[in-house]
Amino acid sequence: MVGAFRRWLFFGLAASVPIIFVVIPIGAFLVLSFFKVDNGTIVYEVGLGNYLNFFGNPTYWGTYVGSLWLCLQVTFLCLVIGYPVAWFVWRRSGSIRYFLLLLTVLPLFMSYIVKIYTLRSVLGLNGLLNQLLVTAGILEKPSMLFLFNQRAVLLTMTVLYLPFAILPVYLTLERIPQIFLQASADLGATPWTTFRKIVFPLALPGTIAGALFTFILAFGDFITPQMVGGTTGFTFGRVIWSQFGLAYNWPFGAALATILLLTSLAIIGLAGYASSRQQV
Amino acid sequence: MKNTSERIADWIAGILTALVLCVLYAPVVVSALFSVVEIKGGHILWDSFTLQHYKTLWSNPTVTESLRNTAIVAGVSVFFATILAVGLAVYAEWNGAVGKRLLEITIYLPFLLPPIVTGLSLLVTSAQLNISRGISTIIIGHTVLVLAVAYRLILTRLQTLPKSMIEASSDLGATQVQTFRYIILPYMISAITTGAVLALTLSFDETLISVFLAGDRMTLPLRLWAMMRVGFTQQINALVTVVLVISLVLAALVAFRLKLGEQENTE
Repeated sequence: MVGAFRRWLFFGLAASVPIIFVVIPIGAFLVLSFFKVDNGTIVYEVGLGNYLNFFGNPTYWGTYVGSLWLCLQVTFLCLVIGYPVAWFVWRRSGSIRYFLLLLTVLPLFMSYIVKIYTLRSVLGLNGLLNQLLVTAGILEKPSMLFLFNQRAVLLTMTVLYLPFAILPVYLTLERIPQIFLQASADLGATPWTTFRKIVFPLALPGTIAGALFTFILAFGDFITPQMVGGTTGFTFGRVIWSQFGLAYNWPFGAALATILLLTSLAIIGLAGYASSRQQV
Repeated sequence: MKNTSERIADWIAGILTALVLCVLYAPVVVSALFSVVEIKGGHILWDSFTLQHYKTLWSNPTVTESLRNTAIVAGVSVFFATILAVGLAVYAEWNGAVGKRLLEITIYLPFLLPPIVTGLSLLVTSAQLNISRGISTIIIGHTVLVLAVAYRLILTRLQTLPKSMIEASSDLGATQVQTFRYIILPYMISAITTGAVLALTLSFDETLISVFLAGDRMTLPLRLWAMMRVGFTQQINALVTVVLVISLVLAALVAFRLKLGEQENTE
């Protein structure tokens, strides 16, 4: 038998690092969000001023709602493009499947900054996209339609976070037993019916996970909108970032980050609930 | 037999996959190409082919310094994260563990939450404690981030260890330390190295947390960001190519090890 004292001693040892480096820092910035800044120094007076400022100012909650909408669009695009890709890889067999999977997973580890910059040059005035559209006769002359606006942020984030949607969908597809598909075909179901009644429902947890990853990552991103968003591509993450840079209002930035944190937690909870409902 | 509609769906998904892969790999191809040849007026000048930019890269002190910083940060944070992950995984599998679920959530938090939250929380804490930002704060940020993946991989492996092996070990008179040394550790070692390589890969590219914690010290991604703001040169393209190739090699190594581990687990 293990004594209560030893149990708690080991717990304390195991928990010390996560508590010191995760729990306390998050707690610290939660506390900071209730303070305020006066003449460039932090005043340690507890108040809801930062939160009232956020809800009272249409610019801030407008950006918040706008970012939610933008990230929903990113999530939607990532799933619409990523799902067929995962499905295609899943339908291959043997080493071709493994090779394709590897090809779709490796970009996850490619430098984030580099990807943004490459996309920026692709979307720019003399970029590949404009040249293609002009050559194809869709556009008369190169345009600035694709850079330094919300659309640029949307396109860039979609490319950045696409692999995060493909992988979870693939992983759940892979777990579907082949006999289910054979049984369905034997019973006379068309491939479309098999997809609708068997493949899609069984892969739903992975689809939800993919949506969750892309949404959370896009929502917290502050470098992409800064690099390709120009003046109109303002997002919530970028507003938080500016509070710690130029605006230099840490408590307000902490309050905004708290709202971001709570939103993320709510979405993680919602996704968890949706997945667990699926398994029943 | 496949029917027509299925074949059409396969073709469409196949074309889409090919397009997606082209877009995803464009950065490597484009920067590798631009690092060796010059582009003028939209035309590639094949005559200008040269590898000298890869050589001059190493005489640029800002590049070598940031590379050294990245190596230090990755090495130290992976080292600490791996030791912590082993300890935490063994604790989580220990019968007397309390608060296991809560502990796990805390470990995964920095990985699940947007990086901006992890970065900010550590920034605020270090500022309150008057710790000046630099290599050590980046190391802390990276350690808590990669701890999650190292822990996950090691725990998954440990959970497949048959309890009978530990019982047999203690029946044969081994102390707990001996059981750990001769049974548990060798069983975990493949997961530990895979976790460490994966952690290295993540730390090597980490940008969103580092940017809050770096102060005036630059890691490689931060240096790249600063350099690219000024404009693209062939030297930057050479550096980008080097960075991408390192990431891809590390990631391919992880994939290869994971596949090996899978076979090991099923045998």
